[in-house]
Amino acid sequence: MIKLHNVTKKYAHFRAINSVTLEIEEGEIYGIIGASGAGKSTLLRIMNLLENPDEGEVVVNGQVLTNLTSKHLREARKSIGMIFQHFNLVANKTVFENVAVSLELARFPKEDLRNRVVECLQFVGLENFISKYPAQLSGGQKQRVAIARALANNPQVLLCDEPTSSLDPHTTGEILDVLEKVNQRFGVTIVIVSHEMDVIKSICNRATVMADGAIYDTISIEPKRMLGTDDSPKYFVEQLTKDGGVDHA
Amino acid sequence: MPEILVQYEAEIWSSIGETFVMVGVSILAAVILGLPVGTLLFLCRKGQILENKVIFSSLNLLVNIIRSFPFLLLVVFLIPFTRFIIGTAIGTAAATIPLAIIAIAHYSRLVEQSLLDVPKGVLEAAISMGASVKEIIYKFLYVEARSGLVLGLTTSIISFISYSTIMGVVGGGGIGDFAIRYGYQQFKTDLMMYMIIIMVILVQLIQFIGTTVSRKIDKR
Repeated sequence: MIKLHNVTKKYAHFRAINSVTLEIEEGEIYGIIGASGAGKSTLLRIMNLLENPDEGEVVVNGQVLTNLTSKHLREARKSIGMIFQHFNLVANKTVFENVAVSLELARFPKEDLRNRVVECLQFVGLENFISKYPAQLSGGQKQRVAIARALANNPQVLLCDEPTSSLDPHTTGEILDVLEKVNQRFGVTIVIVSHEMDVIKSICNRATVMADGAIYDTISIEPKRMLGTDDSPKYFVEQLTKDGGVDHA
Repeated sequence: MPEILVQYEAEIWSSIGETFVMVGVSILAAVILGLPVGTLLFLCRKGQILENKVIFSSLNLLVNIIRSFPFLLLVVFLIPFTRFIIGTAIGTAAATIPLAIIAIAHYSRLVEQSLLDVPKGVLEAAISMGASVKEIIYKFLYVEARSGLVLGLTTSIISFISYSTIMGVVGGGGIGDFAIRYGYQQFKTDLMMYMIIIMVILVQLIQFIGTTVSRKIDKR
């Protein structure tokens, strides 16, 4: 589904990505993890050419993105969804308008647009927030809107750039549930960049560890939910006292 | 109504009309030309989607030059150009040319500043959704920056009123010119004070409308 071949990205003389080759299969949930500055976000952003690599080839869904004209690249991007750490919603658009805009960009038939937006918002459980503005939503809700927006055009791929890094553990669990559902229900290939080990272990089938702009190792894993969706005070106390917690003060 | 206002009522109304024409043309120039120039300034900056050093530097220089002229000198400097466009350098119509030019330079700068406030991530999201440059501008940039654009225009309009008071030097007329000629030069201080009061009310009103609208459309 996604192939990178000898991809290099330089900033001045610094090689942010150094000759990376990788292949992500259709239907996978693929993790990229590493320390800050290891190049994981850059690598993800190369997959839809938000960052243009200096060398190498990027193939997504059979199309060589690095050879496309800007017009064709824009078309190709409509089937590559992306979500971000800071959600990047348009603050002056309602929840409805934020999802609708991605359909408008893809020239989605006007008469079906409303139904499609509502359908996407139902999928992420926000059908009752249609006319709210992002400022009125919690972080988790904003990320759900962003997921609905990214899914509206039925993408084959969903790129997730630190999707849970500004969320608490409970909300993180909820967002991971949604992403898993996206993958299972629609067969969307998901690539997820995170510095949180628990996130990668919770959801990925395969993960790549990056260091200094290169792939250090790639591991197949059996995803196992590490993050409880429990946010009761009892759970927090249990976690605190589980190992190492000294005593109730 | 004070007697002196009754006495000059016709002249007062026509000078208010002249001010409205001059400021109105300035607003049109600001919106029709200043907005695109400001947008281009923003988009051609380093790291933006149309990054272009040549276009950015030349536009930037041009706007700076126009804005560094003392306005009275700009009016005089532009006389040949005004004569070429309008056919004369005297009168209200001729006065609109230098006003339009300063309006474009003034508002484009404020547009550029408002657009700089749009979070970069929003534009990245737009690009990742396959938006074209035109779609990025109209469906994302202007939507996100709209309250700043309105506030900027409000500030600009108030400056245009101030600029328009100078236009008496080329026979442009207007409230400011009336206040100088009748109030100051003919020692009718009370008449001058009334004109100042009219200007104060006008500016208050414009600022109030601008602030209210910009607050209403700001959902951030």
